[in-house]
Order: sequence, then structure tokens, then C-alpha cells
Amino acid sequence: MKKVMVLFVALLAVSLSAGFANAEGNSTKGKYLYRNIYKDCSARGEIPSSTPIVSPSDKTQSQWERTFEKKKFDVFGCTTEFNNLTEANLENIYTYLHGHAADSPTPAKCK
Amino acid sequence: MKKMRVNFKFCLWLVLAAVFVLGLSNESSANEAPVAPGIALAKQAKPEEKGSTVDHSKLKQLDKNFKSGDEITKACLECHTEADHQFKKTYHWTWKDPKSEGGKGADSVNNFCISANNMEDPLCIKCHPGWNGKKGEVNCLSCHGQEKFDFAEAFKDIQDVSAVGDKESIEIVKGIQDDVKKAAQDVGAVRRRNCGDCHFKGGGGDGVKHGDLDTSLLKPSRELDVHMGIDGENFDCTRCHTTTSHNIAGRFYGTPAEGRHKSLMDDDQISRISCESCHSATPHKPGVKANDHTDKVACQSCHIPTFARELPTKMYWDWSASGKLKDGKYYSEDGPYGKHTYDTKKGDFVWGKDVVPEYYWYNGTMTDTTVNDIIDPSKPVKLRWPIGTPNAKDSRIFPFKVHVGKQPYDLKGKNFLAPLVSGPKDYWKTLDWEDAFTRGMATLGKTWSGEYGFVDTKYAFPTTHMVVPGENALSCTECHTPANGRLANIEGVYIPGRDRLGYLGYLGWFIILASLAGVLIHAAIRIASSKRRD
Repeated sequence: MKKVMVLFVALLAVSLSAGFANAEGNSTKGKYLYRNIYKDCSARGEIPSSTPIVSPSDKTQSQWERTFEKKKFDVFGCTTEFNNLTEANLENIYTYLHGHAADSPTPAKCK
Repeated sequence: MKKMRVNFKFCLWLVLAAVFVLGLSNESSANEAPVAPGIALAKQAKPEEKGSTVDHSKLKQLDKNFKSGDEITKACLECHTEADHQFKKTYHWTWKDPKSEGGKGADSVNNFCISANNMEDPLCIKCHPGWNGKKGEVNCLSCHGQEKFDFAEAFKDIQDVSAVGDKESIEIVKGIQDDVKKAAQDVGAVRRRNCGDCHFKGGGGDGVKHGDLDTSLLKPSRELDVHMGIDGENFDCTRCHTTTSHNIAGRFYGTPAEGRHKSLMDDDQISRISCESCHSATPHKPGVKANDHTDKVACQSCHIPTFARELPTKMYWDWSASGKLKDGKYYSEDGPYGKHTYDTKKGDFVWGKDVVPEYYWYNGTMTDTTVNDIIDPSKPVKLRWPIGTPNAKDSRIFPFKVHVGKQPYDLKGKNFLAPLVSGPKDYWKTLDWEDAFTRGMATLGKTWSGEYGFVDTKYAFPTTHMVVPGENALSCTECHTPANGRLANIEGVYIPGRDRLGYLGYLGWFIILASLAGVLIHAAIRIASSKRRD
């Protein structure tokens, strides 16, 4: 019984940690949600520019996985907006950033 | 006797004083000499004040949620009724030289990405000013859009996000449509960026193709370009590339930019494309020797000492080295200037910065090489080369960037091959030359033998931008020097200091020495006779 419990907990941990790695959000929707965060954020006066300060190609796919798994959103500079996102929209943004990471087949070219 | 000496000294001083005063007067009159008409005319140029009589954001034709580029153009054409007919006849649309029918829209080859494959190469076609190649409407905004906006991405995103259908997505779609509308309304006269998006990045990247055109010209200093310098005249491209019915003045293949060597003083209907248009054939002060050069030497030869002065330009591209993998993967290597010197997809590169041009006789037209031409692969093939001869009235000595390449040709047919390289099934994805040749040649209605090799090629570009201020132009000795001068390879013209005319040279020296001897002998006789008189 103890072994089964350990196995169950381990499986749960793996499935949770692989949550973003296997995410299949809407990349296009994620792109605009991501851009809109910066528009709102700059309108609030937190950042000077209304365009994203972090490009998808600033990180590799595994770095984006870790960022979203640990929810370390301070890198984006607009934590208030990020903390207000639903899980589904976080997944959309993750799909966009991951899909255009530096080591992806289609890295974002413009920074 | 003493009185005579005093008188003699007095006369001598008087003569010296007169010479000094005359000299000063000459100098001052030289300073006040009338400025050359060519300078006076050009000095009138001032930065353009571009005003518009239309606020496009107030037009109902542009107040729509556009779903495609063609829709935007149709809205433009409601007012600008003839614009598309005009534009579709120009080289910018056809990519074909009206005289030779050659060009990248036809079957010409170069030693960069080799061929536009009848406009089927996806990377090349990005610079065609249509929404969908030559099939659809003209994309007016590629030249008249005031800010860069990716319409193709926006239209695709509208479709993608609309398909989601939730409330949030509807809001996003509305936002994209507003951005599209705003970009469609933000139109005006052509800016540097509009031209530069393609002309600064020809050949696949910044400064790759032209040595005298790169993004450093977006905001250059006067030292980099005396005409475009933001601290100088601050000209936009269209200040010289004047436009009539959407025909933009400039050179292409067999058609010179301006072959008549006229100035606006001769004919006020000409374009401003050549130096002579504004500066005339006597651009220097009266009496300055440089004015005597303009019938043989192009202004650019002295006033563009080097090209690629701020950003590097590609000087060599070897396609035969492409296709190597590292650990089974594509790779690239960086070299000087932070540029790739190797790329699996493309091969070996050499970049240059602050490059001294090569000089050739040039009448404003270039040769063209196509996939139909039979070549001699035993020596470098001149793909595009200046046409001109020393004695022709319209030829001048002109500076060029020469890009050297190594590119594929048909071993049996002895003609160039035109592979498809940039599409999803093309060479950069497959590294399969044979498939790329077969499909690439098919775009031009051609086949190939099945055997290929690589041949050395040269491609010349006239250097005409990055003009330095007069004070930084070349000094005489750069060309008028006995060895290794800039014009060492130029034939058919006598260049003092570089050339000698055998016995005529010796005769000249004899006359100089004989004159000197005559003066000395004369002086000796005068001294001797004066002593005898004393």
C-alpha cells in the first residue's frame, strides 16, 4: 500500500511538473495576450515601453518551461498582470513563448 | 655710385612690395571668386518639408475592418485611380529590365541567393511590393506606410483567433483589426525605411548585397553620407530618386540611371538621379583642376573613398562549402564584425568593412547573365559587369564593389543552375542540391543534365551612396602615383604621375634642365659683367 502511495505521489508530481511542458494553448491568442499585458502595464506606468521587453527568443524552450513551472514572472516586469492571468491564458502565453524560443524551429527574430 | 646703389635697393623694395600687394589682392579675389554654378545650385537644397493635404484617418474608404491586403489596396484605388496601372508597368513590380527583359523577375542569376526562381523563392518574394507576389494587388503600404507593420501576420492572426470564438478572443480580434486600420490610415510620402527594408537588406541581410547601402543610412552622420546625413542635408531617398508616374529614377541592368549627363540648368525636366543633375559638369570652384576631370572620372570615384564604412558588407560567398553538419546538426561560425563566416545552409563567407572600391570604365549599363548563357568555367565568370570604354562620350571611371562567389552550374550544359533554397521543401531544409536544382530550374521552364559543379563568379555593384564631404574626398596622389594607385588597372587614358610617355618624358626633363642651366649661365654672366663694371 505504501509503495502504491509513493508511486501515486510521484506520478502526480511528474504530471504536475510536466503541466506546462505538454501545454497546448493557442499560440496566436497567447501572443496578443502577452502584448496586451505590456500595453496595460505601461498604461499603469510600471514600465516605460508598451512593447514586450522580453522576446520569446531570449530563452530556450527548457528555460521557458522552468519559468512557467515555477511561475517566476518577475522576469517580465509586469507581475501584477501576470498574477491576474487565468491558467488557460498562462498556457496560451507559454505556448507562444515556447514555440518561438531561441532553440525552437521558428525562433522570434525581432527583439 | 653709392646713390645708384640706394636707388637700386629702393627699386628692389618697390618691386617686392608691389608683388606682395598684387599677391594679396589676387588671393583675396580668389576667395571672393564666383562659386561654381554646380555648387550654387546644389547649395540651394534644403531638407524637404513634407506636408500633406490629406488626413487619411478621416477618409471613409479607410475606416473599415480590413480582412486582406487586397481590400486595403482597393480602398486606396478609390481615390488614387491610376496608381496600380502605373506601378505595375515599373521595374519595381515586374523585376524585369524593360530594355533587355532580363532581371531577377526573369532568369538572371547572381552570386548571393542565386535566383528569384521566377518569383517562387519565398524569401526573395518578401521584397516584391505586392500582397501576394505578382498575382494580386499592389501593396501600396510597402512604400507609403509610415510605420512598419506586418499585415500578413495580422490577417493570419485575425483568422486564427477568430476561430477560438470566446469573448476574450473577440476582444483580441477587435484589437488587431484596429491596429490594421490604424496602419492602413498611416500613409504618406516614401521614407528611408520604406526603401531600406529591401534595398538596405538585399541578398538576405543588412548590407549583404550593396556595399553602399545598409541600415547605417537610416540615421547617418554627414561624414558617412553628405546628402543623407541627419546633421547635413538630411535628404530622403526620393530627393534624388525622383519619381514620375510611380517610375522611380535609378539604374537597373541594361538601363542607366541617367545617361544624358545633363544638369537641371540644362533641362529642368530631368531627374535628380546623377551627381551632375544638381552639381553640373563643373562642380568645383572655377580654376580648380578637378573640374577638368568630370568628362572622364565619375564624381563617385573621388567622393566615395571607401564603402561599408560603418557596417560590414559581404565580399565572398562559397556555396560549395555548404551542407556540413556538426554532431548531425546545422551549425554556424562567427568571424570578424560578429558576422557568420560559415553557415551549413549557405557555405563560407568573407565580410569586409571600409572597403576600397575597384574602378572600371562605366557608361551606366551592366552586363547580365542568365541560366541560358553558356559559360567558360575555367575562369571566373563575370555575372554582372560594367559596360564602358575609355573613348566613349558617356563612359566614366567609376567605383564598384565586386562580390566574389562560387556557385553551382550544369557540368554538361555549361550553364548556371538556379536552385530553390528558402522554401519549406528547399535546399536550406533538405541540403539536397539535386532536388533543389530540379525544382528550381523547373520554375524557369528549364531542365538540367543531372551533373553539377561549382564555378567562381564575380558580380559588380556601382558604388554611389555614402558620399563623403568634399574635405574627405580622395587626394590627387591616390591616383596620380607611379605604382599601386587606385587607377592602376585603368586603361585607355593618360594619367599624369602614373603614366610615362617614353622619350617625351626625357624631352621634358631635358627642357627643364636646359632651362635651369640657361638661368644659371645667364646669372653667372650678369655677375661677372657687373664685377667687371665695378
